[in-house]
Amino acid sequence: MSNQDAKHVPEGTPERRLSRRSLLQGAATAGAAGLAATAIGAAAGPALAATSRPPAADQSHDTAGTHAGPIVVHVRDARSGDIEVFSGTSQTRVRDKDLAARISRAIG
Amino acid sequence: MSSHREAPEISKDPVADSTDVYAFVSPDKPGSVTLIANYIPLQSPAGGPNFYEFGDDVLYEIHVDNNGDGRADVSFQFRFRTTVRNPETFLYNTGPIQSLNSPNWNRRQTYDVTMVSGFTGRAIGTGLACPPCNIGPLSTPDYGALAAQAVHQLGGGITVFAGQRAEGFYVDLGAIFDLGDLRPFEQLHATFGLPALKAAPGVNATNNVNVHSIAIQVPVSALTRSGHPSIGVWTTASRQRVRLWDADNGENVDSGPFRQVSRLGNPLVNEVLIPLGHKDQWNSLPPSDDKRFERYVTHPGLAALLPSLYPGVFPNLAALVAAGKPRADLEAILLTGIPAGIIPGFTNFTGPVLADMLRLNTSVPPTPSAKQSIFGLLGGDAAGFPNGRRVTDDVVAIELRALAGVTYPLIDKTFKPDAAAGQLTDGLTPASVHAPYLGHFPYLGVPYSGYNEPS
Repeated sequence: MSNQDAKHVPEGTPERRLSRRSLLQGAATAGAAGLAATAIGAAAGPALAATSRPPAADQSHDTAGTHAGPIVVHVRDARSGDIEVFSGTSQTRVRDKDLAARISRAIG
Repeated sequence: MSSHREAPEISKDPVADSTDVYAFVSPDKPGSVTLIANYIPLQSPAGGPNFYEFGDDVLYEIHVDNNGDGRADVSFQFRFRTTVRNPETFLYNTGPIQSLNSPNWNRRQTYDVTMVSGFTGRAIGTGLACPPCNIGPLSTPDYGALAAQAVHQLGGGITVFAGQRAEGFYVDLGAIFDLGDLRPFEQLHATFGLPALKAAPGVNATNNVNVHSIAIQVPVSALTRSGHPSIGVWTTASRQRVRLWDADNGENVDSGPFRQVSRLGNPLVNEVLIPLGHKDQWNSLPPSDDKRFERYVTHPGLAALLPSLYPGVFPNLAALVAAGKPRADLEAILLTGIPAGIIPGFTNFTGPVLADMLRLNTSVPPTPSAKQSIFGLLGGDAAGFPNGRRVTDDVVAIELRALAGVTYPLIDKTFKPDAAAGQLTDGLTPASVHAPYLGHFPYLGVPYSGYNEPS
């Protein structure tokens, strides 16, 4: 699909939705690869992974576990909970104050 | 330059920096159109040991609009993949490279081509080999023959090449960016109170450097709608939204959707018409959004500068600028195409949508080389710029002359261009390019070798 998406891809193409849990799982996956990042600081990656990894039992239920590559989390605004999540060639945007706060706490 | 380093952000990202776009009816295959998009400007041929290559992380595209809405109807996407045969040597090659599968060639690129029509994308070429860079007589002893092996027939009458070529765009950058100096006329320059200059021949600043070209030759019928021979062409480069430096592995990792970082249709538009504060934004937008930049085309800053840089030389242009009349001639040339009835027997109008695209009326047959004018349409040669663009067209002189008012009589026959306007040039011709152009695909010359350049 062309990147000149105005014609080839209608605006508003549904983005893949991620649950808060899957987001955390994704962060963990990214951390495992050493690639998690936020707008707050790239050094947050491993720490974020270590503190946000969900219980192992939950992983089989989580679609984020199917992601082969890194998942990158960009907290655009921690105060409003505005978060972008990138994986492969897709992105999604979520608003979750609690999650943003947890990520912020994770990096100290 | 045509579009080399034309905007602040892309000037820091040469791998994604589009430098020139060409579109012309193939002179040796008139039922086809050749589209060329160049990237990675100003390559010093000796720039090893890590010689130039396309970005594996860049999505390169050549777009064609065939219904005049400034949006792509047909796109060709190019994605590259680099492989290293032996990571335990620092060498690009460990012996002469005499074929594209030479075991001596250590770092090579292949690419995939996808043709997108409407919502449908179709892989039309996979694992296609690029040639190596032209290194020197020991490493690439018969470069012309080697590069010819990298011309691939894809079926459906489509031919493709991606790799290093000699820079074919000629321009006296050193003078032009020195406050609009044109060496052949510099005795007339205002010089800002500094000592007067003497007229001098132009200097081709882009001589003896290379670029990376993506060239594709496509049947006219695959690009046009029936009964509508005029198309608009542009290229883009896109990067994924996120880039992370993976310190553990010592490499960048990209994620997220691709977003456009570079665009090029007509030469010199973003370079000299779009103001500095808007160039990066211009690069990120599709041509269909160009209405927002209309005023920079219809009231070009360079046209206003010429009379002050060359006092007394452009009185009629000065009056035209002072009158504040919009330059509908430039708008037609650059943003809509030239409607029928303006130039007898010619049009490349694609519709009223203002969009910077290189417009080509594919029904105009190629002009035999002996009869070509490097001034294209201004020289009475309807097969040249701004009807598409051939590799030899003098787009600097054409656009300078148009900006100076030569084309304004197309919309106002009472306007008399200044005598100097029709003479403007930076003093260069295709003969200023040392590497000869080719008479066949991919038309740009064999790249300069690192052994010979710089000399």
